[in-house]
Amino acid sequence: MTRQSGRSDPVPQPPAGAGAAAHAAGSTPAGPAPAGPAPSGAGSSQGGERASAVRPFMVTEGRVAAEAGLPVETQVVATVEGLRSLGALAFERRAIVEACGTPLSLAEVAVQLRLHLNVVRVLAGDLRASRLLAVHVPRAGTSSDIDVLRRVIDGLRAIPTSVGSRDAD
Amino acid sequence: MGSAPSPLPSAHGTPTDDLPAVRPPLPVKMVVAGGFGVGKTTAVAAVSEIEPLTTEAAITEVAAGIDDTSMTPNKTTTTVAMDFGCLTLDPTLKLYLFGTPGQDRFGFMWDDVTEGALGALVVVDSRRLDDCFPAVDYFERKGMPFAVAVNTFDGVATHPLDAVREALDVAEEVPVVSFDARDSGSVRDSLVIVLEHALARAVAAA
Repeated sequence: MTRQSGRSDPVPQPPAGAGAAAHAAGSTPAGPAPAGPAPSGAGSSQGGERASAVRPFMVTEGRVAAEAGLPVETQVVATVEGLRSLGALAFERRAIVEACGTPLSLAEVAVQLRLHLNVVRVLAGDLRASRLLAVHVPRAGTSSDIDVLRRVIDGLRAIPTSVGSRDAD
Repeated sequence: MGSAPSPLPSAHGTPTDDLPAVRPPLPVKMVVAGGFGVGKTTAVAAVSEIEPLTTEAAITEVAAGIDDTSMTPNKTTTTVAMDFGCLTLDPTLKLYLFGTPGQDRFGFMWDDVTEGALGALVVVDSRRLDDCFPAVDYFERKGMPFAVAVNTFDGVATHPLDAVREALDVAEEVPVVSFDARDSGSVRDSLVIVLEHALARAVAAA
């Protein structure tokens, strides 16, 4: 069998459940595009054993991610003001600023706090607007930046692997 | 959360309130893709400095009827959202590795994860080659540099790489290698091969 004969099309197909929060929030997901509601959370916050009783759209007050363009590896870090203002923050916003005392990616924040990835995007946008969180969006073009590629190659070659080898068994 | 991070001094030597308390590294990412049960999570785990953060849901809950487990009898869960690990290459550079969901029906997640990635490693089980077709198609269409890595389960390569390359019908410059998803050195080398391929393309385009 060759690939041509078995070709299948991974056309984006949002599952029924993932769009529900956005619809309930009265907004329109932009088709099957990645700008849609965070499908990543479908497994973590909705399908997981410890699913939150609070629906994602309640946390974001009905908004879907205006920051949908933020890549999952975007680094978020508490600002000095953010750390100072912790006492004035509550719930998820406080948890995010607290967790971001050290830089984290959006994906790490989502997993650590058991939040929908797009909820994190919305709240990170809020916190950035109030200058409590610095959001470092990776530069466009990084992926084809020759210097970056060389640095990553050198960095990977330098990591010790013989001791780091882990066997799943 | 441990000790308070030390504020960065501004130009005037005092912290500015809206500056980040700690300077973040440059985040870069690579994608590890492939079919169900092919070793994506294992590969990420082999090189990640953290236990892979994963949003696996039990197959019986989410993926029942989608995956064929007959070829992977020991696998009880499948990655339905995404999992990732990371490697701090130096204090200013952090590599994230994202495993993409194996099923077509979760393909919509891919753009979210793959956008801006340096490249992709498509993990292949040569006994179930067709499982990786969607991934190969996807990265070809995206124009993203990728390499095909045939997972040699238990050190046994079941098909010669030439046969795999022929069946996949990938472009000549696409590396097709064998690797052991459990071995950090092997995974690391495969990632370097992807990056060298990406670098060659970037240099050619410059």
